[in-house]
Amino acid sequence: MYGRKGYQLLKDFASGEKGQLKPFNSKLFDETIEECDQNHHLMQSLMRKMQQEDLDVQNSRNADHYGALIHHLSLMRNKRCLMAYVYNRAEIVRDLAWRVGLELLDLPSEIQEKLTSLEKEYFKNHSVTLKSYMGKVGIELNVDMVPPKDPYIKVRILDDIDEGIVLSDKTTNFARHSMHFLKRTDAEPYIARGQMEELTD
Amino acid sequence: MSKYYDIDDILVEEEYVPVLFHKRANGVTIDPSAETNCAEQGSKVEVPFWLAHELQLRQAVSINLPACFDQKTRLEVQADAAYVDLRSRCPYFYEFGCKLEPLVTDRTLGILLSTAFKIRYKEALTKVYTAAHITASKYLSFLTKEETNLYEAAHLSSTAFKKWKTCGRRLERASILGRKRKDSN
Repeated sequence: MYGRKGYQLLKDFASGEKGQLKPFNSKLFDETIEECDQNHHLMQSLMRKMQQEDLDVQNSRNADHYGALIHHLSLMRNKRCLMAYVYNRAEIVRDLAWRVGLELLDLPSEIQEKLTSLEKEYFKNHSVTLKSYMGKVGIELNVDMVPPKDPYIKVRILDDIDEGIVLSDKTTNFARHSMHFLKRTDAEPYIARGQMEELTD
Repeated sequence: MSKYYDIDDILVEEEYVPVLFHKRANGVTIDPSAETNCAEQGSKVEVPFWLAHELQLRQAVSINLPACFDQKTRLEVQADAAYVDLRSRCPYFYEFGCKLEPLVTDRTLGILLSTAFKIRYKEALTKVYTAAHITASKYLSFLTKEETNLYEAAHLSSTAFKKWKTCGRRLERASILGRKRKDSN
């Protein structure tokens, strides 16, 4: 009671690594909403009791009023916890779109499992908006901000990537552990997803 | 209201404070020692800060200083502030103290917070540069959440600097994806 479930929900969120998502805790989420309903119910019954005693519900300050007040405050507290949970998760989802890739299927499967269907929907809509903006402006905004010294870099492939990838200047097959000399802008999204690593020597 | 969605702000406000009820409140079970379903006038109860704050605004309760700011802590801070285990007292020592400061009658709380912070901050920054991360782990367990954030920020900036000096890789796997699991095959 009294904001406990909302607090537990947020503790669960904060217990993950900073900036990382945990799977959506629907159990605690629903329990928090249930606690809100309990508070609402008790508040209503106290206010009805005041009305039955012919007291002005808005202005009189008796014991029932303070009881109803505490229930109201607990409800608002749980609401705040629920909103903060969803808001902070949405922030991480937006971050994913910027830093990893704009396609939902490009995200590693362990990340995709942690998102609810609504969050996936949010990700898709956010990507669509970003793409249309970048198209209108004519610049790709999600690339590295620092101009590189050399337009080409050496990379090693870490994961299995589909065959026949079309890059801006050639078509290659990426075999695992092979090394390639690629254009920086082509390699960037793969490196961000952890499928390649840059070699500096 | 920019802190409405801030997780740390919400967690700080969950810390318990002792309050004294001036008005009776019916139909609530926040007082575990009460036999009836209410909080009696004149009863002393521990409630979360968010509740105490709102009730004090409406003059239903008065807030007393919680145990983490008591005389024992003050003496320890006076003796050697850098190594006092503030996290076990309260993981959000400074934020909590800042929120309490305008609401309690104790005028020395602000001075306690600022002196403790000044000494500990300096110690934390020195530790970042002089101690290896492993040996500093015991020290880190004494730090409050705010101090740990500062320590980690300093650590990140010093590693970034070292990396830049040795011309490390600029493009990296996105940190948001978490630590890489070692492949078994």
